[in-house]
Amino acid sequence: MFDSIFTAASYLADGMNLLFLMLGVVVGIIFGIIPGLGGATAIALLLPLTFGMQAEQAITLMGGVMGAVTIGGSITAILLNTPGTAPNAATCFDGYPLTRQGKAGVAIGAAVTASSVGGVIGAFILILLLPVAKNIILFFGPPAYFMLALLGLTALTAASSNLLRGLIGACLGLFIGFVGYDDLGGVTRYTGGVDYLWDGLSIVPVLIGLFAIAEMLKLYVVGGSIAKSDDAASVGVSGTFEGIKAAFRHFKVILSGSVIGSVIGTVPGVGGTVASFLSYSFTVQTSKDKGEFGKGDIRGVIAPEASNNAKDGGSLVPTLAFGIPGSAEMALFLGVLVLHGMDPGPMLLLEREFTIFVLILALLAATVASGIIVLLTARYLIKVTYIDSSILIPSVIVVSLVGAYALHNSIGDVFAAAFFGVLGYLMHRFDYPRITLVIALVLGGLMERNYFQTSLMYRGDWSKAFGDTPFVILLGLVVLALLMPVISKAIKHKAGQKA
Amino acid sequence: MKLTTKILSVLCLAMGLSFNAHAFPDEDVSIVIPYSPGGGFDRAVRAFAPQFGEHLGADVTVLPRNVPGAGGRRGTTMVYRADPDGYTLGVINLPGFALPRILGEPAEYDLREMSWIGRLEAQTYVLLVSGSSDINSVEDLQALDEITFTATGYGSTVLAATQIVARGLGLQEKDPIYLAGYAGTSDSLVALVRGDGNAAMAPVSSAAKYVESGDLRALAVTGDTSPFAGVPTFAEVGYPELTPLDLQRAIAGPPGMDAELLKTLRDAFNKTVKDPKFLEAAQKARMDVLPLDGEATAKSLEEAFEFYEKFKADLKNPNAL
Repeated sequence: MFDSIFTAASYLADGMNLLFLMLGVVVGIIFGIIPGLGGATAIALLLPLTFGMQAEQAITLMGGVMGAVTIGGSITAILLNTPGTAPNAATCFDGYPLTRQGKAGVAIGAAVTASSVGGVIGAFILILLLPVAKNIILFFGPPAYFMLALLGLTALTAASSNLLRGLIGACLGLFIGFVGYDDLGGVTRYTGGVDYLWDGLSIVPVLIGLFAIAEMLKLYVVGGSIAKSDDAASVGVSGTFEGIKAAFRHFKVILSGSVIGSVIGTVPGVGGTVASFLSYSFTVQTSKDKGEFGKGDIRGVIAPEASNNAKDGGSLVPTLAFGIPGSAEMALFLGVLVLHGMDPGPMLLLEREFTIFVLILALLAATVASGIIVLLTARYLIKVTYIDSSILIPSVIVVSLVGAYALHNSIGDVFAAAFFGVLGYLMHRFDYPRITLVIALVLGGLMERNYFQTSLMYRGDWSKAFGDTPFVILLGLVVLALLMPVISKAIKHKAGQKA
Repeated sequence: MKLTTKILSVLCLAMGLSFNAHAFPDEDVSIVIPYSPGGGFDRAVRAFAPQFGEHLGADVTVLPRNVPGAGGRRGTTMVYRADPDGYTLGVINLPGFALPRILGEPAEYDLREMSWIGRLEAQTYVLLVSGSSDINSVEDLQALDEITFTATGYGSTVLAATQIVARGLGLQEKDPIYLAGYAGTSDSLVALVRGDGNAAMAPVSSAAKYVESGDLRALAVTGDTSPFAGVPTFAEVGYPELTPLDLQRAIAGPPGMDAELLKTLRDAFNKTVKDPKFLEAAQKARMDVLPLDGEATAKSLEEAFEFYEKFKADLKNPNAL
């Protein structure tokens, strides 16, 4: 195994391959920054370029994209409250408030450091997991999936500052998630006969609306520029170093984020968005002083960013070992693999060890390289937030809507983005959390399908589910997540009495 | 205002006529792939398109165009409604795209009306059980009291194939559970390995690697010959009515295509599928090339409709609420 790692490393260090890697990184960053375009679009665009390449070169290029894209996406999340890619959505909650305080540099420094370190940790976890990849995938059946989705929903809803409003947001998200064709029941739901809604609402236009457009509406009402500080240049530069330091000061948060990212990443169909949300809520729940979360706590940036880069490693496990892509990005990557004569399956990991290590190292190198590129350019990027709203608002709205359209070349997505923009603004205006809506939208379909599948496979007898180990473990975590606020309140109460 | 409209429409008409005066093709031809890039249909078209363009005419490029959505209905409807001028073609999933009509659901298109250019691929199905189970034959499976099939969702070809095989083997009487809803065939096969269910149907190419690794065991295959050593065909174990069950990928154009135009396209198709360059690309794309000319494809579609019509009663959604 170590032989393969070293040959893979020397392969990557070769001039031509390094060039492909950097090309992937640059494309990845740019596609990450622009909302709507993401890893999937970048891979689709680069795919025809790889026709004449060796398998390893193609994989190096794609590894570069995948490692860089969420780092690019974090920039837009922090500066404009617009997740560049779906897994960056959780970064908005604390990253953007930091920008408004004029601390964008700190947030970017911390996000990039967390991403890079998270990516490295994720790659190592992937190397450790590969030998047992098959067992991990076979560990999760429908009962476990159902519980996992429930855990994600519970953890985030229980952590919302106003439980009732959090629940309303989650219900709304679940409802929106039900729209479309349900292939288990064989019925279309809430589509009103509109063809566009047949596939349900895809997450990207919804996120663009809820965050980017809603934010621009907000800014329009307030006026001025995003950042309030007057001295643009100085804040940005000194801030990035402060951010890097902050990330290392909270290394525990990076570590927990990376582990959550890797583990959730291995579960097909769940993916980076859930991983980063779970990592965020885990950090909120386990922190003693949670008052600043949502208002600009640096840990709220570090946690999701560490996990959404670590998840790349994890999500390769089901893709490589079984040909089950966990996300649109992975589905395209699967296409690249097959195109280059690599048939994902139980045997691939043994037969193509060298190629797999090239991929892992490319991912690792890409997260670090893109981190450095972003840090070096951060001072210029931050200037965006000092642009006056009369110029910024139209530009961001146009880019966002074009991004929404570019996703599937569908005008329906543009209307969806506009609709959710208004909804997002109203939610902000009346103080309803968007976080629970998003997580419920992401997890709702998964939860419902696996609920029905579990009922079917146990022939309606749910007591059999208690024989399923991961189901029981996850159920325990759900109970814990529910009790956590009560327990911490009780402890605080006791401490208060003593004092 | 009205006059301008009239002038414009006359101009448009004149332009349209002048376009028609040119021999087909004088602009790029697009082949609509009703799925996202990266899947089997995408790969097939991308392997086929360059050589097809070469055989169509000197300066013509054939462009693959992904129009995913609504389980393939969006792209197929787009082809069905396009002008039958030969510039918009599509790749069709057989019998997948025929199923809605057979199941009596609203479908905006009727495959029987389309202009068939030729079939690219055909694949047989295989009946599978877990490699660690003690089911070694179709008879062993029939002896079980409780059968749970893992499958993809309602409306998918895999679920329909599973239901047909269950009827053919007399398993329908045991009231089997169809554990449907897995995101793809690979997912449903991994679910079978895990033990979510105890049997599944899958196209041979999806299942082969799991059979080779020993994770799954093949019991019988559809079609006339078996690709797996020691595994019988359904006909050999006494169920010849299951032989026609297969999965095809074919190229078609909108209904009402001019006979001469159709002939041009069919000729180019027939030349392309014999072109060594295409065959090489097809092998790289892991296609199961089994070409059939346009007329035969149209006939095979009719037969498929008849075959599925026979099992119509069994194809209802097993998990309808």
